[in-house]
Amino acid sequence: MIRLKNVSKNYPPDIVGLQNINLHIRPGEFVSIVGQSGTGKTTLAKILIAEERPSRGQIVIGGWDISDIKASDVPLLRRQIGVVFQDFKLLPKKTVFENVAFALEVCGASPNQIRNIVPQALNIVGLLDKRNRYPKQLSGGEQQRVVIARALVHRPKIIVADEPTGNLDALNTREIITLLEKINYFGTTVVLVTHNRDVVNELRRRVITLDRGLIVSDQEEGKYLL
Amino acid sequence: MMLVNTGRVIGTAAQSFRRNIWLTLATVSVLVLTLVSANLLLSLNVLGKIALSAVKAKVDVSVYFTPDADESRVQTVKVFLLSLPEVKDVEYVSPARAMERFSAAHKNDDSVLASLGELQGNPLGATLIVKARSIDSYPKIMAALDQPAYASIVEDKNFDDREAVIERIGSISNRIETAGVVVSLLFVGITLLIVLNTIRMSIYTRRDEIAIMRLVGASNTFIRSPFYVEALLWSLLAVLLTVALVLPGAQLARPFLEAFFGTSGADLAGFYHANFLQVFGVQLGCVAGLSLLATKIATSRYLKV
Repeated sequence: MIRLKNVSKNYPPDIVGLQNINLHIRPGEFVSIVGQSGTGKTTLAKILIAEERPSRGQIVIGGWDISDIKASDVPLLRRQIGVVFQDFKLLPKKTVFENVAFALEVCGASPNQIRNIVPQALNIVGLLDKRNRYPKQLSGGEQQRVVIARALVHRPKIIVADEPTGNLDALNTREIITLLEKINYFGTTVVLVTHNRDVVNELRRRVITLDRGLIVSDQEEGKYLL
Repeated sequence: MMLVNTGRVIGTAAQSFRRNIWLTLATVSVLVLTLVSANLLLSLNVLGKIALSAVKAKVDVSVYFTPDADESRVQTVKVFLLSLPEVKDVEYVSPARAMERFSAAHKNDDSVLASLGELQGNPLGATLIVKARSIDSYPKIMAALDQPAYASIVEDKNFDDREAVIERIGSISNRIETAGVVVSLLFVGITLLIVLNTIRMSIYTRRDEIAIMRLVGASNTFIRSPFYVEALLWSLLAVLLTVALVLPGAQLARPFLEAFFGTSGADLAGFYHANFLQVFGVQLGCVAGLSLLATKIATSRYLKV
């Protein structure tokens, strides 16, 4: 599903983001990328969604070599990868329904498709009854669930979640992780970037640990090591 | 899907138009100012040409014949003049008609009228008023009349070429055109800067929306298009407002221009009505082109997709 071969990322003049990363994530896996701040976790997430280009190496996603992806092809890649970030990035003047629908609208979906798909996504994240609320009327956890619903509308094969629980309390964190597990259960590959020790330890899934841009550990049923 | 996307692009542009209404108004005002200035220069140019053609129309050669010149000989000269390719028209003024005109021209001059009364008979001969096809042909026509056969009957030839006036008007017209080019270039620069910065502000205002669009896979064309549509909306609004200002302005100026030029030919409103599509179509094309160019620069520079 996701394969990285000798991937490095450097920032001028001499900052190292990632060093010689070799990684294979199989379809349907739930992988946590952990490490302290500045170790390259977010750089890795950004490289997976072509937000950053690698300085060296090869990235293949679902058989598609995106190492040198053309700007015009990036949107096609993004429709296959759902993205969830720490800052919720919801539009405050749009309702929950409209925020989720926005992802379909800007990609050219028909009004009929939007009417069918959005309620399904909201149902998965348990917010169908709050579809007419505005983001400010929701809790942090609920807002993040809206973002996840938005990431699901294109029925992505991969979800990349970069610190999705960074701004949430323990209860809401638990809800979001449970939701990601549920999504993974139905076959979507989940790449979770986090530095939340408790989350990683409770998951008991594959854990890849980064330190100074290098993979220092890759365990099938791992724990937070650092 | 194409239709749905086009509708959404226009909707997004309209939303941005409303959201930044004050900035939009400022931008449109500058565009209107640019267009009104261009129209002012255009009007001056048109009026200059009207004045020039009015003066040129007044240029002619008057050939005065002696009072005893036989009418048949005068008519021979007329036929000769009409045979010249440079001559457009020749008007025959009989001695009696010449007298009437002279009296009418001096109706308030008692001493002239008294002198005429003392004279016995009509002291004026026939006159031929010659109009040339081109103003440059008059010296040639004058030379053609300088032949011995006509020397005994032609008393005088009068060519008021008004060359100095024509040159002055031509020179003013040229200066207006030069000023027009300079002012237009200045306004092109201002328009580019204003539109570029307005688009930049619009990108900044919509930065969250754009970030989400990029994340969820909106195409680069879809993200960029609303800015181009917005620029086109500004251009269209600016031209409509300019039309709303210029046409009534030209109508209001009509009596003043008629009084000034002494002719109903100085009709700016008529010029705008007759050339409406040409004049405002070109202006819309130019402003839209400039706005789109500024948008292209702004989106290439400030919109990362």
